[in-house]
Amino acid sequence: MNLAELLTRTDLDVLDHLERQTTIPVVDGLQAQGDLLVIPLDMLNTVHPHYWADWRPVPAGGVELVRGVAGNNPHTLVADPGACHWTPDVRDPVNLGIALITNTATAYLVHPEHGANGLAPGRWLVRRQQERGIGAWGNLLIAD
Amino acid sequence: MSVRRRRLRRSPATAPDPDVRWQAVELRAEWSSHALRAEPAGRPATEDAITALYALLDEPPPTFVWVDSPAAAVRVLPPSARRPAFEPPWPLESRLATMVMELRQRLDRRGRSDFLHTGVHEVLRRVVRESVAGAVRSQLAAPLGVMWYGQHDADWVAYHDIRHRLGLALHHARDAGQLALWATIARSCGWWWPRQDVCVITERPTAVVTEPVPGSEHGELRLHNESGPAVTYPDGWAVHSWHGTRVPRWVIDGPTAELIGAERNVEVRRCAVERIGWEAYVDQAGLTLLAQAPDPGNPGSELQLYDLPSRRPEPRARLLLAVNGSTERDGTRRRYGLRVPPWFDDPVDAAGWSYGLTGVQYARLQRRT
Repeated sequence: MNLAELLTRTDLDVLDHLERQTTIPVVDGLQAQGDLLVIPLDMLNTVHPHYWADWRPVPAGGVELVRGVAGNNPHTLVADPGACHWTPDVRDPVNLGIALITNTATAYLVHPEHGANGLAPGRWLVRRQQERGIGAWGNLLIAD
Repeated sequence: MSVRRRRLRRSPATAPDPDVRWQAVELRAEWSSHALRAEPAGRPATEDAITALYALLDEPPPTFVWVDSPAAAVRVLPPSARRPAFEPPWPLESRLATMVMELRQRLDRRGRSDFLHTGVHEVLRRVVRESVAGAVRSQLAAPLGVMWYGQHDADWVAYHDIRHRLGLALHHARDAGQLALWATIARSCGWWWPRQDVCVITERPTAVVTEPVPGSEHGELRLHNESGPAVTYPDGWAVHSWHGTRVPRWVIDGPTAELIGAERNVEVRRCAVERIGWEAYVDQAGLTLLAQAPDPGNPGSELQLYDLPSRRPEPRARLLLAVNGSTERDGTRRRYGLRVPPWFDDPVDAAGWSYGLTGVQYARLQRRT
C-alpha cells in the first residue's frame, strides 16, 4: 500500500510534501516514528500487559496513541477491521511504554509530519522517548 | 482529635457544591484579569480609595504623584522613604501596614474556606505575586520600603472578596468597607508608596505577556515572551521572561554563545541556550564532540555525542544531537539535541537509553521516519 491509498482509506492527512506514491515499507522489527519507537515485544522480557489490560479493537478511523503538545500532531494507529488490537495498559519498568499492539495483518502508524510506518503482523510495544531533565526534573518525555 | 477532623470542623466549606465552585472559578478569572490588566490606571478611583484609607488613619488627603513605572517610583522616592521604620514614632506607612494586617486577621477569624484558599489565594499568589510582581521586584533590585502592589495585591483581596460575594463569610460592615477600598485599589492601579503628605503611584503596565504553566491544575499563567519584553511599563521600562524565568534583555533580543559562556547564572544560561536552540548553540559554542556514529535506521545521518559545559550544581549531562528521519517542507531535516546522562560515551548507547533500550538493541533499528 502507498501513502495516498492509506490516507484515502483512513480519512487521515499528512503534510503535502511527503512522498505519497511510493509503497510504505512494512517492517518486521524495530522502527521509529519521531519520538515513538515500535519494539518487537519479544525483544524485551520485562514488559507485559497488566493482568487487567483492556484489549481494544482498532476502530475504522484509527486510534490516536499520542497527541502532540500543540494538539495537531497525533501518532495514529490504523488497521483493517478486526486485524489489530491494542491496549494502553502496559507494565514497563522504565515507564516509557504507552501501548501494546497485536496484529494479524499489516497495521500502520501515521503522523502528519513523519508519514506512515507499516507494522508486520506480530506483537509490538510502543515507547515514547525521554531525555535527561534539568535540575531536579529527573528524566522528561520528549514531545514533538 | 485528628488533623483531618480538625480541618473539617474549621472549614464547613471544604466540599462546596459545584455551583459555588463554578462561581468561584469565574470570580477568580475576573480577579486574574484585574491583576494582569495592561491599561492606564483608573486614577480618580485610586485616589478616592487611598484618600479614604488615609482618612481611616485620621490623615488628610496626600498629594498624588503618578509615575510611569516602579523604576521611576524608585527614582522619585528619596532613600529615606524606602527604609522601613523600626521604632516609634511610626510613620504613616507603618500605621497603614498595621491597619491592614489587623483587618486581615479579623477577616481570617471569620473562618476559612479551604477550597478558596487553595483555588484562589494560592493560585493568584503564585501567578501574580510570585511570577509577575516577583519578576518586576527582582529586576528593580533596590530597597523599596513599605509599599503595596495595587493590582498585584489581588491574591488576598480576591480571596476575601470572593468569600464575601459567595456568602461564605459575613464580614463586619466596617471591615467590608475597608476591604472594598483595597479591592478598588487592586482593580485600578499599579504599585503605590503611601507616605506622609504624599503618595507615589505607579501606572499599570502597557503589556503583560503570559503563557499557561504546563500541567497546572488551575490553569495558572507565567510570564513568557520570546520576541520582546514580558512586562512593559508606559515609560519603556521592561522585564523579560523566558517560560516564567526572569532573564536579562539579551537572552530574548540577542542571545549568542559568547554571552552564554560569560553568564554566571545557570538559569539564565539555560534559558538563553533554549532561546537560540540546541543546534545553533552547538554550532556557535563549539561544544566538544566526543563521538559520532551512523544513526541506525536513518541512512546517511549521524548521531553525535557532545560534552555539555558543566552547569553546577545541576547534574552533568551530555548532548546527543540527532537528525530527523523525515524531511521538512523545505527539504531539510531538522536536527535536535537530547540531553542524556553523562556516563554514555557511545552515541548509539545514548540513543538507546532515550527509548529505554541498550545500544545493542537500538542498533537493530530498521527504519526511522
